[in-house]
Amino acid sequence: MTSPEGLLLAMLILPFLGSLTAAFLKPAARTPAWALTWAATLIALGIAAYLYPAVEGRAVLRNEIEWLPSLGLNFLLRLDGLSWIFSILVLGIGALVTLYARYYMSPEDPVPRFFAYLMAFMGSMLGLVLSGNLIQLAFFWELTSLFSFLLIGYWHHNQSARDAARMALIATAAGGLCLLLGVLLIGKIVGSYDLDRVLASGDLIQSSDLYLPALILILLGAFTKSAQFPFHFWLPHAMAAPTPVSAYLHSATMVKAGVFVLIRLWPVLAGTDAWYFIVSTTGLLTLLIGAWAAIFQQDLKGLLAYSTISHLGLITLLLGLGSPLAAVAAIFHAVNHATFKASLFMAAGIIDHETGTRDLRSLSGLYRFMPITATLAMVAAAAMAGVPLLNGFLSKEMFLSASLAEHSGTIIDQALPALATLASAFAVLYSLRFIHQTFFGPAPQGLPRIPGEAPHWMRVPIEILVVACLLVGILPAMTIGPYLATAVHSVLGDATPAYSLAVWHGFNPPLFMSIAALGLGTGAYLLFRKTLNRQDGAPLIRRLKGRKIFEASLAAIVDTARALERLLGTRRLQPQLRLLVVVALLAGLLPFTRLGYGLGDHQGTVVDPGFAVVWMIGGACAIGAAWLAKYHRLAALILTGGAGLVCCITFLWLSAPDLALTQLLVETVTTVLLLLGLRWLPIRAEEVWPGGRAASVTLRRAIDLTIAVAAGLGMTLIAYAVMTRPLPGSVSRFFVERAYPEGGGTNVVNVILVDFRAFDTLGEVTVLAIVALTVFALLRRFRPAQESVGAPAQQRVQNAIDEAREGRQVGDTLKDYLLIPRVIMEWLFPVIMVFAIYLWIRGHDMPGGGFAAGITLSIALIVLYMASGTRRVEARLRVQPARWIGFGLLLALLTGMGAWLFGHPFLTSYFGYLDLPIVGKVPAASALLFDLGVFLIVVGATALILIAIAHQSIRRPSASILRQQALEQGEG
Amino acid sequence: MAGVADHLIVMPVLLPLAASAAMLLMSERRRVLKRVISLATVMALITISVLLLRTAAASHDPLIYLLGDWPAPFGITLVLDRLSAAMLLLTNILGFTSLLYATARWDRAGPRFHALFLLQLMGLNGAFLTGDLFNLFVFFEVLLAASYGLLLHGAGRKRVTAGLHYVSINIATSLLFLIGASLTYGVTGTLNVADLAARIPAVAAEDLMLLQAGIGILGVAFFIKAGMWPLGFWLPGTYSAAVPPVAALFAILSKVGIYAMLRVLLLLPQDPSGSATHVVDEWLQIGGLATIAFGTIGVLSSKSLSRLAGYSLIISSGTLLASIGAGEAVLSGALFYLVSSTLGVSAFYLLIELVGRAETDMDTSPPADAVFDDEYVGVREEDQENEVGVVIPATLAILGGGFMFCALLLAGLPPLSGFIAKFAIINGLLDTGISPWTWTLAALILLSGLATIIATSRAGVDLIWTPDRPSRDLRLVEAVPVGMLLALCLGLMIFAGPIMRYMEQTADALDVTARQPPAILSDPEEGTTP
Repeated sequence: MTSPEGLLLAMLILPFLGSLTAAFLKPAARTPAWALTWAATLIALGIAAYLYPAVEGRAVLRNEIEWLPSLGLNFLLRLDGLSWIFSILVLGIGALVTLYARYYMSPEDPVPRFFAYLMAFMGSMLGLVLSGNLIQLAFFWELTSLFSFLLIGYWHHNQSARDAARMALIATAAGGLCLLLGVLLIGKIVGSYDLDRVLASGDLIQSSDLYLPALILILLGAFTKSAQFPFHFWLPHAMAAPTPVSAYLHSATMVKAGVFVLIRLWPVLAGTDAWYFIVSTTGLLTLLIGAWAAIFQQDLKGLLAYSTISHLGLITLLLGLGSPLAAVAAIFHAVNHATFKASLFMAAGIIDHETGTRDLRSLSGLYRFMPITATLAMVAAAAMAGVPLLNGFLSKEMFLSASLAEHSGTIIDQALPALATLASAFAVLYSLRFIHQTFFGPAPQGLPRIPGEAPHWMRVPIEILVVACLLVGILPAMTIGPYLATAVHSVLGDATPAYSLAVWHGFNPPLFMSIAALGLGTGAYLLFRKTLNRQDGAPLIRRLKGRKIFEASLAAIVDTARALERLLGTRRLQPQLRLLVVVALLAGLLPFTRLGYGLGDHQGTVVDPGFAVVWMIGGACAIGAAWLAKYHRLAALILTGGAGLVCCITFLWLSAPDLALTQLLVETVTTVLLLLGLRWLPIRAEEVWPGGRAASVTLRRAIDLTIAVAAGLGMTLIAYAVMTRPLPGSVSRFFVERAYPEGGGTNVVNVILVDFRAFDTLGEVTVLAIVALTVFALLRRFRPAQESVGAPAQQRVQNAIDEAREGRQVGDTLKDYLLIPRVIMEWLFPVIMVFAIYLWIRGHDMPGGGFAAGITLSIALIVLYMASGTRRVEARLRVQPARWIGFGLLLALLTGMGAWLFGHPFLTSYFGYLDLPIVGKVPAASALLFDLGVFLIVVGATALILIAIAHQSIRRPSASILRQQALEQGEG
Repeated sequence: MAGVADHLIVMPVLLPLAASAAMLLMSERRRVLKRVISLATVMALITISVLLLRTAAASHDPLIYLLGDWPAPFGITLVLDRLSAAMLLLTNILGFTSLLYATARWDRAGPRFHALFLLQLMGLNGAFLTGDLFNLFVFFEVLLAASYGLLLHGAGRKRVTAGLHYVSINIATSLLFLIGASLTYGVTGTLNVADLAARIPAVAAEDLMLLQAGIGILGVAFFIKAGMWPLGFWLPGTYSAAVPPVAALFAILSKVGIYAMLRVLLLLPQDPSGSATHVVDEWLQIGGLATIAFGTIGVLSSKSLSRLAGYSLIISSGTLLASIGAGEAVLSGALFYLVSSTLGVSAFYLLIELVGRAETDMDTSPPADAVFDDEYVGVREEDQENEVGVVIPATLAILGGGFMFCALLLAGLPPLSGFIAKFAIINGLLDTGISPWTWTLAALILLSGLATIIATSRAGVDLIWTPDRPSRDLRLVEAVPVGMLLALCLGLMIFAGPIMRYMEQTADALDVTARQPPAILSDPEEGTTP
């Protein structure tokens, strides 16, 4: 870890580690949280300082950790002059902000959370500037958006903080996505995301077709982050954050991220016309609009916010000009702006802290209360205005000379010197207003608090920064000089121009422009200072309320989305099913439209008239069932049964007795169970379409009919096409041939079910078990419609008769007329049981099997329940279907697993002959046991569904329902 | 075949089946025992999945298990390759977290929860393991049947309505599956997927339309499962009606459709005459784009978090469909995304109940007028005692953090794996060449992320940052599953390299199995010449 590479990694990890630790501190742990942050930041800062020799003279320190090599994405930390100077800014100002925040944050605030966010943000920012990989850069970029969201919304009990945080997040995250796509394109052009490779491929990038889209996307990212017009709207609102956050985010970090990326990619992206027009125009507009708006702010922080926008515009403009000298100025100004803007925000925070207001109109003459703070603020503001002997002056001079130097002949170029002077004058004006309005004039009236000097340690960060402003301003070459040179060389390389960092360059045009700006600004302030206090928002651009536009567009997006969701989607089942059928129809028919429809050469058999009649009946039943399904459930159900019977006859006709048997049994059970359930369905409303059916309904039904007919016909045609073809060399021959010799059974269907494809059977019986459990669970909670809760009419009549007669108990009539069926059923039950067992045993060789046997037994159970009544059956018979299912499943499983003992896969069957006493030699296959499992499951599942329905009838309706029904009957 | 280790591949199906069968033998009242059994089962399943994953990663060829010792393609085979191993592990991890979460309270909201839950896992595991088209259908049925039960778990009007809706759609879907499978069988004469791959190129030109119709109809069934526009309208409503741990498990259900598609649709050969693969790719691309767009619209228009989660699933499906349609360069990224987005949505489903518990509680309290005396809905009051776990402090911070990470994961922003997943997809996409289609897809993928941020930030700010909301209780057993899922996503991020390598090998293998007949088949003629 002590190698430079290791230290570099440690420097990045420290803030995150600190953040994680702070997150686990108790909310009241102020000092530990602060000390932790302070220590982590200082150590990281120390490491950064220690690493300086590693980047001197265009050296680059790289630490590459393998991450996602196959996609060309490694975790790559890269420290060069530029990232070094930004790291120092991030960590240095971070340390000062931490110190300041200790005194600024109120004791009630849960500061560990604050410091956790702050350090995470610091780490993300550090990660961004240290990224040696474009994707990694985008990664940390989004992280800064995220943590700035948390920091801005730290006081989330304020509506404004919540809104501002969300706005900043959405704006910068959207920009981040653009940036990501942009750098992906760059990566594709270069063939690598490695920054060193990218920086070496300037010509390749600029000559690529993808250059323009990549440029625009990256610029969108940078502009949203650096609050460039027209994406600047989020920044002033972000002032809802605690002041230390503003001081940090809007000086050295967050907003500088965009500028940083522009500087970082300047060597490869700058120099084209597109770059020049987009970047310099945006920068210029932002510079002017920001400065203009700053003049009219009444909120201290608001003024500083717009001034930040304006200064960012200045840096962007410098970068947009495309000349190396301007780029130097941009880097230098980025550093200078960070120092004076951070100190000004902190001073504003002190004023707010001490007076309880940030409204310039209420503030006045504070100098006498806080002379030290006032002096510090004055120096910093002078730097912001570009007064000589301060760092802001130097970079502004460079800017002014750059504005003069460019002569490509465009309108922007021509107007630039004048506009630059104007913007500088604006800066002088708002800086002057900031100082004069706050600190001079008569003593303030009606402040919420009596102001005083802030605690010493709260001022120290400002003092340090102001001293830096002065030192750099007076002795640039001795202080910032070498570091700036390293940074500039790391960006510009061989293209680094000769530049001078002297305070005095003699009487030259930039100096005159400076003087003009100072004069203009001061004059304007003297003229308009009273007027300015009465202004409510900046003239000309007052209507440009970014926030309103943003919120209105968000609302519009959501409204549009809702409308589109209704238009393109539906929550109703009917249209969904319609779509399902239509899409399936298309999928099925499309190949035929392309490849044509053709029958195979199979000659059909002659149609048997009897068979045809059977099928006509079946078809009629099916159509009738569909027709009546909605209006006459009973009839529809019986007709469905009819169609099922026809299927059954068909199977018999076509020599599939096994299928026919199973079909018959299944038809019986399902129909009976459905009939039992009918009683609980709500009574159908007689009149569906009060006042006649609408034409739209008729049309919809016609469409549905057409779709249904088309789907049916389509299916028929496809089935016909398949059936007229000879069966391809299918696996079914294998089954027929191997069933007896290897499966031990002559009933091929059964051998397939319990041996060849026993795994399917295991799955299917599981399905049956699950369905039974589900039906049981559903009916257990079943809440039928009110009108179906009470006893059915027939039962009521019977009970009434029983009650009316002497010596009869309720239920006697029912008992009487079911006597004979009951006796028959109770006597038949064992017989059916034996028959079921017979079906099960013979299944392997003849029609039957566990499934059929199970259903047979369940039919017996159902009839028993119907004839004897639920209570009577359950009093005499232990009906525990869930257990039967469980046993059945376990039996089937264990049979299958038995094969493991012999080293065979699951479900490998064994068959042999058992020599039983008396009976003699009987065939016995392990599949028989498996089939017994199936048998048990089928009985259990059917019985479970049956008792779920049966128990429904013996549930006692709650008292309120009974009362209500009695009332209704009384009326009726 | 010797030793239990050889049979490990079938255990993901048998173990949950055995455990739930055993639970059916127990009384409904033995809750603690059932919890222990089912949690132990799922933990065993995870262990098995990890072992299987390591086996699959180590071997070049897929592992074959011949059920009943019948040679392929006549018997049913289980096939373990990298894809199925990864899906197994994902399924069982989701199973564990959801189950753990459910033990806090939801498992008491209705009968036989644990049995149904394990059977659901059995169905999923089986569907991922089987190498047989009809057996796939069977396991689809198992997982669907179990999902009906789980969806209805907890009862209440909302769930029953959504449940019956879901049942109707899925029965229709199953019908399509059957039609498709039988058509495919009718033309090729086989159900074994590997055998299909071998036989499809040999299908005569005059039968080709039947095959295409069959696979097309199968595809529609898979698209419905995956929630492709315009076939996926059922999804958000259904999932939002389910109780949270169930919805969290359901996050993998739509991926079964995607998985089946990968296995079956890609079988269509790139033959010069019909250019069927091309058609499939086009369907996937167009359908995928439409699905992402619709999901984005849905996310923006959602008024509740659970619908938002449902639409996130639709976006996820759309992204997968389009990416699969984009070709092999994107496939590994798509698989990575599949894992990441499934974990994310699952965590989100768990979390939104915790965040919005004050709202959802209304749904579980018994209605004022019971129709029957023995009726109960939701968690019964007397069950609220003897809770598992302790109420943890700093609830809000944990919920807020969890919510934020989930949102970032769904939106594809750092620091969790969502970012890498989307990066991998777009990176692969740009490698396929820059076309209007690539642009649209990349833009839509990013826009869907932005829409997610817009929607979740609105909801998150409202739910977590707005003061004076009723305090919520949070139990450790509820926080831990969410934390585990998020930690897994963090792991995906940190170990992206090896995981992506695995996915790349998976994608390569998929390509191979789709285009060449693997050596697992015995000679098809062998069976016919005795």
